Amino acid sequence: MGSYFGLFKMHFKGEIQYRAKAISGALTQFFWGVMYIYLYSAFMGRGIEGFSTAQMVTYVWLGQAFFAMRFVNVPKNVCTQIENGDICYNFVRPLNLYNQWYFSYIGSTLASTLLRFIPIIVVASILPASMRLSLPVSLPAFLLFLIALIIGMLINGAISMFAVYLTFITLSTRGSTGIVNVVVGLLGGVYLPLPMLPQALQNVLNYMPFRCISDLPFRIYIGNMDIKTALVQILISLAWLIALIIIGKLLLKSSLKKTVIQGG
Amino acid sequence: MLYNKYFNMHVKSSMQYRLNTLLIAITQVVISLGELATVWIMFKQFKSVGYWGFYETLLMFGIITTVFSFAECFARGYDEFAKLIRTGTLDRMLIRPVNLHFQIFANNIEFSKLGRVVLGIVVSIIALMHLAISWTIYKVLVLISVYICGVVVITGIFMIGAGVSVFTVENLEFINIITNGGKELSFYPINVYNKWLARIFTFILPFACFNYLPISYLMGYGSLPQVIYAISPLVGSLFIIPCVLFFNWCIKKYQSTGT
Repeated sequence: MGSYFGLFKMHFKGEIQYRAKAISGALTQFFWGVMYIYLYSAFMGRGIEGFSTAQMVTYVWLGQAFFAMRFVNVPKNVCTQIENGDICYNFVRPLNLYNQWYFSYIGSTLASTLLRFIPIIVVASILPASMRLSLPVSLPAFLLFLIALIIGMLINGAISMFAVYLTFITLSTRGSTGIVNVVVGLLGGVYLPLPMLPQALQNVLNYMPFRCISDLPFRIYIGNMDIKTALVQILISLAWLIALIIIGKLLLKSSLKKTVIQGG
Repeated sequence: MLYNKYFNMHVKSSMQYRLNTLLIAITQVVISLGELATVWIMFKQFKSVGYWGFYETLLMFGIITTVFSFAECFARGYDEFAKLIRTGTLDRMLIRPVNLHFQIFANNIEFSKLGRVVLGIVVSIIALMHLAISWTIYKVLVLISVYICGVVVITGIFMIGAGVSVFTVENLEFINIITNGGKELSFYPINVYNKWLARIFTFILPFACFNYLPISYLMGYGSLPQVIYAISPLVGSLFIIPCVLFFNWCIKKYQSTGT
């Protein structure tokens, strides 16, 4: 366990170096936030049932603040390793390959999230009332939001391992992350907040793992569901987390048997 | 002609990795379809924004997807200019007795982007078939100028990004605001946004000149004299002049990174 935590720390520290990149990123995120708020307000008018304009504004800002953990990446080092064949060194280490990648990924995702969310939260909280990020509905909701957010990040990691698996098959990281992110983006409420989708679609998506990454924590924060529903949903996302990790490990194992190392 | 030689070279090299090029093209089309699905769901749920309906917006989506990907395919050198600086390719280009802009255009051509160009054209045609436009010869000319203006403006935007990266060496993420930000903003009629945002993306970065304004002309919308809407793509294309000047000025200030 200690060595996995070491990998986590190493990638956390590596990512935390990129402060200038994070500031420039925050500026970009701020622009997107403003744009989406205007766009959604124009469509929604005074709001839709169960999703007021103020809730939408908060949802958008949270989405921009935690942007780094909403999408899935294939860790950069994994890409180059698969492409140039260095991956064989990972095989000979007495560590589990899945765990090595998983912990490195969570380390860098956590670091880039922590670097980015504070400036967005601060600026969005002092904007004029119509565009302001509101406070969480209640203290218990806030605590559940934090728990759901952490589980969300872990699920993001588990889904990203599927992108790694696809990279193994296609040998193209751009392709595999692109496809996985379209799925996460559409079904997980990144392209469009899930409460804005047709109800019939929502009824299905509410039980899928993709919404657990960011949609669930955000909706707990804005008070879109009561505490009891939130608890049930968090249990569902925990179940998904375990299931995704087990499936991911099995898939990786089966693909490793057929792996051809590229180059040398 | 020299460009033909370069072009054939790029064709040959991407034919070597046919499957890879095809896979990347398909992925990008899938990503665009994801964006398209978002637009569709918005209108499915909310019917319209003002007097703008689904098919007008679909036409905008088709136009921006076509021109953006077309520019990405042929003006890729500007889009990835930081790479040319870091690898020292720019230094080599500067000592050759051929125009720099020519070399940048010729050096990178990315055929995988053509998948999206095809998607954009198909979407545009579907939208045009559903819109009740009373066609005149002027409207046809305006429609053609829209696509030309779009490619010119996006190329200009890439030049600005390239110019800035002369000083920063890195591709800065906030350049994204004017490239991808402008692109996504152009999926929808620009009047849904705040006045200032709309003004910036009309008068400073003329994205509206190849979608909102000329489409108003095609549909007969809007309160200004129609001729203003009709000539907007021509005026918008002038944007390339300051972009080229800015880029040339940046190149004069260029100091090699020594690699």
